[in-house]
Amino acid sequence: MSDLNFDYALLIPEFILVGTAILIIMADLFRKELGLGRLVLPAIAALGTIAAGAASLAYIDDVDDFANVIAIDNYTTFFRVLFTVVLLVVVVSGYEYVERNIRHTGEFYALLLLSTVGAIYMAGARELLTAYISIELLSFSLYVAVSLAKTNPRSAEAGLKYVLLGGVASAMLLYGMSLIYGTAGSTQYSEIAAAFSGGTSEYGFALLLGLVLLIAGLGFKASAVPFHMWTPDAYEGAPLPITAYLSATSKAATFALLLRIFAGPLLPVIDQWQWMMATIAVMTMVGGNLIALQQTNIKRLLAYSSIGQVGYMLMAITTISDASASALLVHVAGYLITNLAVFSAVIAFHNRTGKEELDDFAGLAETNPYLAMVLTAGMFSLAGMPLLAGFVTKFILFQAAASGGYLWLATVAVIASTISLYYYLQVIRRMYLLEPARGESGRWRLSPAGYIATGTLTAGVFLVGIYAGPLFTVADRAARVLALS
Amino acid sequence: MSDGLSVELAHYLSVSGIIFGIGIAVALSKRNAIAVLMGIELMLNAVNLAFIAFARLGGNFEAAGGDPLAGHVFVVFVLTVAAAEAAVALALAVLVYRRRETVDLDRITLMRW
Amino acid sequence: MLNRLPIPAQFDRIIVVGATIAVLGALPIAAVLIALLLLDELTAPEVVFWAVAALIVAGALGTVLLPNIVHAAVSLVATLLGVAGIYLLLGSEFLALVQLLVYGGGVTILLLFGLMLTRAADDPVIADGAQKPFAFGVAALIGGIFVAAVLDANWSQTDAAAIGIRDIGQRLFRDYGVPFEIASLVLLVALIGAIAIARSDQPEPEAAEAEEVTT
Repeated sequence: MSDLNFDYALLIPEFILVGTAILIIMADLFRKELGLGRLVLPAIAALGTIAAGAASLAYIDDVDDFANVIAIDNYTTFFRVLFTVVLLVVVVSGYEYVERNIRHTGEFYALLLLSTVGAIYMAGARELLTAYISIELLSFSLYVAVSLAKTNPRSAEAGLKYVLLGGVASAMLLYGMSLIYGTAGSTQYSEIAAAFSGGTSEYGFALLLGLVLLIAGLGFKASAVPFHMWTPDAYEGAPLPITAYLSATSKAATFALLLRIFAGPLLPVIDQWQWMMATIAVMTMVGGNLIALQQTNIKRLLAYSSIGQVGYMLMAITTISDASASALLVHVAGYLITNLAVFSAVIAFHNRTGKEELDDFAGLAETNPYLAMVLTAGMFSLAGMPLLAGFVTKFILFQAAASGGYLWLATVAVIASTISLYYYLQVIRRMYLLEPARGESGRWRLSPAGYIATGTLTAGVFLVGIYAGPLFTVADRAARVLALS
Repeated sequence: MSDGLSVELAHYLSVSGIIFGIGIAVALSKRNAIAVLMGIELMLNAVNLAFIAFARLGGNFEAAGGDPLAGHVFVVFVLTVAAAEAAVALALAVLVYRRRETVDLDRITLMRW
Repeated sequence: MLNRLPIPAQFDRIIVVGATIAVLGALPIAAVLIALLLLDELTAPEVVFWAVAALIVAGALGTVLLPNIVHAAVSLVATLLGVAGIYLLLGSEFLALVQLLVYGGGVTILLLFGLMLTRAADDPVIADGAQKPFAFGVAALIGGIFVAAVLDANWSQTDAAAIGIRDIGQRLFRDYGVPFEIASLVLLVALIGAIAIARSDQPEPEAAEAEEVTT
């Protein structure tokens, strides 16, 4: 334990994020004295995020670790860039909403920045303790952020339910970790892998219980059925930018962690968890998409739609291989772009109307054809229509599952995906075929930030759909770090 | 068995398992938000008990790569997080109480499935 | 029935009766354990273990079974103290002290404060929900699975020396320096969050100023 690497330069992007968070809190405290305008806080947050994302690019092709607890490799770099991009999008597309509907803007941005640090370390952790504490950093920020909405009376209740259910899930996750620690004798991923490849028969049922609890705890964080109870409530009660953030960073970070754990230390015991993962994947795909059919609120609809997407991603963990790991990374990236496009459009819509029921979208094609187009592209991409990001990423994900010997799982995924098309079409039907509500038929425009966010993301959705080569290459290089055969 | 440690690892782990089960019972059966928090604290104590028992008595920790210290450090972190979690959950409970005059989870039903 | 007992009015009847039952129940257990110790059937650490384990389980059962939430909280403290006792038995003096400090001090007081702050005068203190039988069934099942699982495994056991505080400190602040800093961020988030949430219902400064201008 004497030859540890304490190269602090490896952690510069996170130093930038934390420094920016503290700067924002300070600036918020002295806002009046310094005469700072309303745009200063989001501007600082955006600049800090860009700086952190740019700094992450310096670590491409590094293979290093900090003190044996955090790996700095292409996998971490992939998620560092992804999470900073998500943060930037949420800040830019959400600042007007935040200005109007959030009680403490300074704290809000600080929490977002700190939670991104937690998300990055979830992807980078190579040790259970670091993974756990990073999960808690992300979760705590979200518990608080969910309950910061000013006008929505549901916000605080959503936060309370979220923190209590999250506490139970954390306890289960921890017990799972303690059983894995007890059977493997270490918290290091590499040591666990070494211990488990030597055989685990003497631990029998105890190791299985550990795996069940680990999957249950992480399944909660990823909102997999049947651990998804908190998702619709938290999504609905949270301020919209946080809903977007929950559906993006929170999910992607959990999958970053899941993939590193199940492709590394737990790979030798794949026989014990593969069937569990397959079961949960099927329940999540089918359950999420079926319940989504009955939703009438756009946030709840997107909550269940994202649960359905989680099912597809769990399928990639089930059929773990080099191909499916890289397909998972591609799908996560494509899903984030698409989902953020939809959410930035919904935020822009809410800024104008203050409404979020599905029926409020009636006649949007008449009052704002551009926004209707953005939403249509996003919804079709989520459903997996050709020429859009969702088609390409789902296609290689399903293909990886099918060629991994799980043709039946891929078939279920295709059926679930077809079901999902129905409720996405319901939104599109309302926008194009129904008349706008009386007195609201006038045309309106988005704010410049709204145009920039929705425009860039929609372009991204089309770009990935038509020319996904570079994304495949990047995901391949990131997944190769996991050293799966 | 050496002197002084004739209680076996499985005994400690059984106590830990029982406490975890009771913690789940508390979290599921109570409808006061703060009582649910008590259940979570019980579950976390069960976790800590298991970590320490493994780290102190686990035989495979003497093998190469065995790391008994990590369990002790883990407990320090869990304690920290438990305290922070109590603070956040109680702040939220007080906020909900101020708005709705109750922290009864059965009565906080603005949202449903 | 409780009302007929000759207990002075200033004492909480349930606490007095509960404490009496607890003491009466503890006496035979203590007697049996001491007898086994004197007969050399059990060693001293074993006696301590069984006594502390009984305290822990009894406290936890009190937390779940006592209908009054304040009583449940007091019962929880017994469990938390018992867990500290187990740490001592396992040779982790440092963690036992931290357990007493954080749980016995901090968390318990937080819980009691929370109870005081959220209790309406007319709100019943009964904390049990209607889903109680279901909850007990699920919990018994899960607890049973846990105990079966740990008894099923064939644990090898060591008699290595107890780990000293010096080693823990070195590990915590050196190898685990980064997680330690992440934990400090968690505390920062909890701090920010508690402040932001607690201030929530005060009017915004801008709004207050705007009102002044209009009036």
